[in-house]
Amino acid sequence: MSRLPPSSTERIDRSRPLGFRWCGRALEGFEGDTVASALWGAGVRTFGRSFEYHRPRGLHDLEGEGSSQLVSIDGVPNQSAGTTPLREGMDVGAQNVRGDPRFDVFGLLDRLDRFMPAGFYYRLFHRPAWAARFFQERMRGLAGLGVLRPDVPDRGERAERYLNADVAVVGGGPAGMSAALEAGRLGLRVCLFERRPWLGGHLDWRVRDSRPLAGEVSALADELERMESMRVFRHAPVTGIWGENLLTGFQYRGAGGPTDGWTGSGTAEAFDETHWECRARAVVVATGSIERPLVFEHNDRPGVMQVDTAIRLARTYGVRPGTAAAFSVGDDLGLEAAVDLASLGVDVRMVADARHEGHDEALVAALVEAGIDFRPGWAATRVRGRSRVRRVELADRTTTGAGSGATVGSAGGGAGDSLRVACDLLVASAGRQPDIGVLSCAGARFRHGQRTRTFELERLPPDVFAAGGVLRLTDVEALTTSGRTAGLEAAAACGADVAEALARERARLADLPGPARGSSIVRGPVAGRRLAPGRKAFLDFDEDGTWKNAAQSAAYAFDVPELAKRFGNFGLGPGQYRVPGQNLAMAMAEIAGRPIGSFAATTVRPPVIPPSLATLAGPNHDIHKRTPLHDDQASRGAVFRRAGPWLRARYFSADRQCLEEIRNVRENVGLLDSSPLGKFRIWGPDALRALQRVYISDMTRARPGRCTYSAMCNDTGNIIDDGVVVRTGEDEFYFTTSSNRAGTTVEWLRFHTRYDGWDYNLVNLTDALASINVAGPNARRVLEKITDAELSDEAFPYLGCREIEVGDGVAARCLRLGFVGELSYELHLRASHARYVWDLLWEAGAEYGIRPFGLEAQNCLRAEKGHVIIGTESEQRVTLLDIGMGWLWDREDTASGKVGAAALRYCEGQSGRLKLVGLRVDDPAGDAGAGTARDPTHRPEDGALVVDGDRIAGFVCTTRHSETLGWQYGLALVEDRLAERGRSLDLYESLGRRTVRWTATVVPPHFHDPKGQRLRIAPEGRPRRPGKAPSPPAPAAHRRSPVRFDAAPARTERRAGWNVVLDYESDRAPADVMRRASLVDLSHRARWDVQNRDIGTLRPFGLDVPGTPGKVAVRDGLMINRMNGTQASVWHVGPGAAPAMPDGPHYTDTTDSHCWLALLGDSVPEVLESVTGLDLFDPARARPFLTQGPVLHVPCQIVTWRGDAVLLAFSRGYGQTFVEALLESGRHAGLRPAGERVFTDWSHALKS
Amino acid sequence: MTFRLTCPVCGKRDVYEFTYGGPERGPRPAEADPASGSQAAGGSDPAAGSDPAAAAEAHFRWAQFRMNRPEPQEEWWHHGAGCGVWFSTWRDPATNREAPPGGAEAGGHEASGRDSS
Ligand SMILES: [Zn+2]
Repeated sequence: MSRLPPSSTERIDRSRPLGFRWCGRALEGFEGDTVASALWGAGVRTFGRSFEYHRPRGLHDLEGEGSSQLVSIDGVPNQSAGTTPLREGMDVGAQNVRGDPRFDVFGLLDRLDRFMPAGFYYRLFHRPAWAARFFQERMRGLAGLGVLRPDVPDRGERAERYLNADVAVVGGGPAGMSAALEAGRLGLRVCLFERRPWLGGHLDWRVRDSRPLAGEVSALADELERMESMRVFRHAPVTGIWGENLLTGFQYRGAGGPTDGWTGSGTAEAFDETHWECRARAVVVATGSIERPLVFEHNDRPGVMQVDTAIRLARTYGVRPGTAAAFSVGDDLGLEAAVDLASLGVDVRMVADARHEGHDEALVAALVEAGIDFRPGWAATRVRGRSRVRRVELADRTTTGAGSGATVGSAGGGAGDSLRVACDLLVASAGRQPDIGVLSCAGARFRHGQRTRTFELERLPPDVFAAGGVLRLTDVEALTTSGRTAGLEAAAACGADVAEALARERARLADLPGPARGSSIVRGPVAGRRLAPGRKAFLDFDEDGTWKNAAQSAAYAFDVPELAKRFGNFGLGPGQYRVPGQNLAMAMAEIAGRPIGSFAATTVRPPVIPPSLATLAGPNHDIHKRTPLHDDQASRGAVFRRAGPWLRARYFSADRQCLEEIRNVRENVGLLDSSPLGKFRIWGPDALRALQRVYISDMTRARPGRCTYSAMCNDTGNIIDDGVVVRTGEDEFYFTTSSNRAGTTVEWLRFHTRYDGWDYNLVNLTDALASINVAGPNARRVLEKITDAELSDEAFPYLGCREIEVGDGVAARCLRLGFVGELSYELHLRASHARYVWDLLWEAGAEYGIRPFGLEAQNCLRAEKGHVIIGTESEQRVTLLDIGMGWLWDREDTASGKVGAAALRYCEGQSGRLKLVGLRVDDPAGDAGAGTARDPTHRPEDGALVVDGDRIAGFVCTTRHSETLGWQYGLALVEDRLAERGRSLDLYESLGRRTVRWTATVVPPHFHDPKGQRLRIAPEGRPRRPGKAPSPPAPAAHRRSPVRFDAAPARTERRAGWNVVLDYESDRAPADVMRRASLVDLSHRARWDVQNRDIGTLRPFGLDVPGTPGKVAVRDGLMINRMNGTQASVWHVGPGAAPAMPDGPHYTDTTDSHCWLALLGDSVPEVLESVTGLDLFDPARARPFLTQGPVLHVPCQIVTWRGDAVLLAFSRGYGQTFVEALLESGRHAGLRPAGERVFTDWSHALKS
Repeated sequence: MTFRLTCPVCGKRDVYEFTYGGPERGPRPAEADPASGSQAAGGSDPAAGSDPAAAAEAHFRWAQFRMNRPEPQEEWWHHGAGCGVWFSTWRDPATNREAPPGGAEAGGHEASGRDSS
């Protein structure tokens, strides 16, 4: 059997065998095995075939360092056998083979390597041109790793965690643990990340003088586990360090792997992985050392393995790495491993050490005592055996290549300067190198050290510290002391006063053994002439990069490591820097005949250790805004499309031309949900000046009760937005923007007035107010059924704006506009009332056959009217003047500093500019039109090119077939010389490989009702009843939350029009409720915005506004949050009815602006850690405090009330999708929806 | 690539929370007065005067020219995902770290541990 007798260091449970399949064969391993150790333990020697030459590859390393150990597991390719825990019933397969990996049919490619020199892929097969494609396809079939199978669905649960720490420690060996403890003892928040499933680093398996070294640090691990401020993440590799100490990584959570650090979901799929990010103030990197492979002929044969691989197979997994072994090593750990393996019963026949001197004398004595042939200054030169090691040739490095060579049999012995050893295991290593991957990502620099003969740390980035094996320390006390030193340095970087302790540890470290001395050997001595030197000596196993390839690269003048890396494909595979990295730099120096430290190691790029792409993709929540009318539109057959952050109804039938929707608006009446329209309130002494700055028109003309249409430009005169402005008070205005600009309007105004110090206030009401557009000749007849307001042309003319009441006294601002070219009223009203009013309109319009219409119908209607949509009929080259809207520009005003005015003035007289024109599309010309029946839906695509001779001279913005007009019309931007009326244009459209040519005639861009009579005077509709009938009493108004939980309400209460759920059927028992986490919707509770330049002098509701942003005060059932210099929010958190909003312009009711949630319970921090990187539980901050930042990428106001109570408010439109994503992300922490009672009980308990 | 910025209200935050407002370049130059028209009326300050060509030139320098020097520059940032404030800060585009004017040496330190040579 391949298993050794049980030992104290092993981590398998021999009482729990696990069955699995390997290439169809049934095998067995144990609980605690990795896939690799189980395979080797079951006698499997060939794990797969290499990337290019299809050479057999076995177990070289156990850290997932290269492609050799990649296997497919349950149909999922490229899984790391070395790090994946074995699981019962796993189906493991070899990669890049046809049939059994032992008898791969493409193995003969190995003989053809002379035809595949370095860079052949780039240099050959380029002429003739078809050859590149031909050979590429053929070679892709042969080369490569795993096969991605579309029929195998993605497996496992992907989660995300965002951590905040004072100190992050990378590596849980003796140095990392010591550093973490030192920082943790000072009360700092520490996160420690260990890539293996256990702590202890290499001490976990090392045995010295029959004494396991793990005992020396087990006390450290115990203390770590108990420490309050410490979080230990096992099986959690770090993939990189990014700007200012952002660590990224992932954690395996699959079966057999631990789930500590955070609560696992319990599904325990083998592919469960968590992506984590940790923002730390200081980082300690204690990644230890890794081995540098020794390069010699056939150094990739199954049976050649690293020192750590051999010793860990034996010590961690109880697997016999081989029966007869030879060693070719370069440091004392190699000698220690030889002694230990011999003590476990492996027949160690020879130990070659590349060093001539500097060996640990005690280890040499132990080797001699064990009767092992020890040869200083010797190294392996080649391996014999086709599919596994059968014999090893070793030689004296100083007298290379001369010898005949005696054969050392099982009896040992022999003389001369080269030897052959019969064995099935060659433990080979050139020595140790610091594991620089993570440090290199962080921006650390390295230089080659003369004494240590490895790359040493030269310079570290700010607040990053290194400890332990990465500094080439090996003495156990030196490792822990350097860890404590780094831990204190990190603490000092966090502001702790540790100067004294630091000086003490540094002094202690100075007296301990320093960095170990390694060997500078890269390649074993070259003996024999049969094989071209280095032809099968691999620097990079991943992509079959040989010594010879490196030499070829140098010959082609790619003679430095960073060039050879790319030309010869060294270190571009999964192993990246780990196997070839430092060797390549040393090899290139040797090939160039330069000193071995001449070149730096190639740059390491994240991910240092690759996670799966699915893990990087994460849960991928679809978070978007929905209007308050979303659900009803969905039930009426709406087809939704994303438009900016919103999901909007585009069509209401399968007819993508929307002919019925259009006809209904033109002839009858339609309803459009235009809620995403930007809506703003601006007030203050300088509000008008701010509007004058950003609007291109004279805004002093804005009057009460009247909509003033205007546009905004940018500094190059491009039109970027349009909308209407209504004066609502002495220094107060209401204005609208296009829905695309709603999110950036406040930012835009503040930016363009940033030097002026003006006093004005601005509130975004986009989400707070819904907008319903009633459009069509019968619009007035429908609207007058739900309001008593006077709607006649005289009382409420075109472009009027009235404050009206609809239904049961619901306030609405009504704007008479005409974007679609018909009589139309836009109702702006509280979002929570939107559904109530929408339902009233449906009922009122039923007798006229009212229908909804979507964005596509609106698009056709407005294009028929010649109204532009910014971004569709405008682009970066197009100014306000170019699209024929220059009449908006107040050209006399040079004092306001209007944004864009200077540019408009400059380009006013320019020729050669694009101009907006109307098109009348003629029948398709040329091949497409000839002889075919004309299909009215066949029209030039939006974006088709306008061609003049052999030049592109513009493009089509929009074309549609109009039922109203009976012909195809369009809007296009064309060069000015083509813009005259009656001009014929050639349009070209690419349909795959075919080009279709159309012709069109330039016409004025106003097709429908060019005089605008239909907007101004309501035409006769189709009256069903003469006169206006008295309205029946309206049903009681109700308000709706943006959130609907998927839970059954048990108890509800009617409160100020809201239907408040007090309890859900699923609510936990009161005694239990705080144990996990509950999500309560508080959107029905009142909230206000308070804004003023001198906010400190205001006392809203008789309360003092906290003096500094981020501070929160709670009094009399109100919570007041200071947001910034001029703004605060007030939330009604208390029992009873909310107070009335105080009078005065400083206050805005924002109850409808936000979705407001409470998260309550002990696992709330765990929930929030899954959805935001914000540091919401910083122990240094006095609670309650306000944080403003993104949660699930949605900007939020978050109040950390206590450790188990967090309130958050965010734009109302996100409500439903945000809540769904939050519940999904928080499920692992027991997050559940709950009724308002959970919140009121909690806040009541707070008081008593 | 990622870096952090110090919002005067919220403190250090991830750059993804901010939008960039470009380097500091002063207020928008005054527009030429189209009514006066003559070059003489410009006075000593060509940008503020009424010489249309000079005013246009000043405007384009201000609107379009960016020096892109690899040294600390004053920049405008908007904390859109946070407190909603515009602020200016000094940052070195060569290192992406906030840095004082004049280009003080970016942080970093010699690796500690034993001298090994
Ligand atoms: Zn901020």
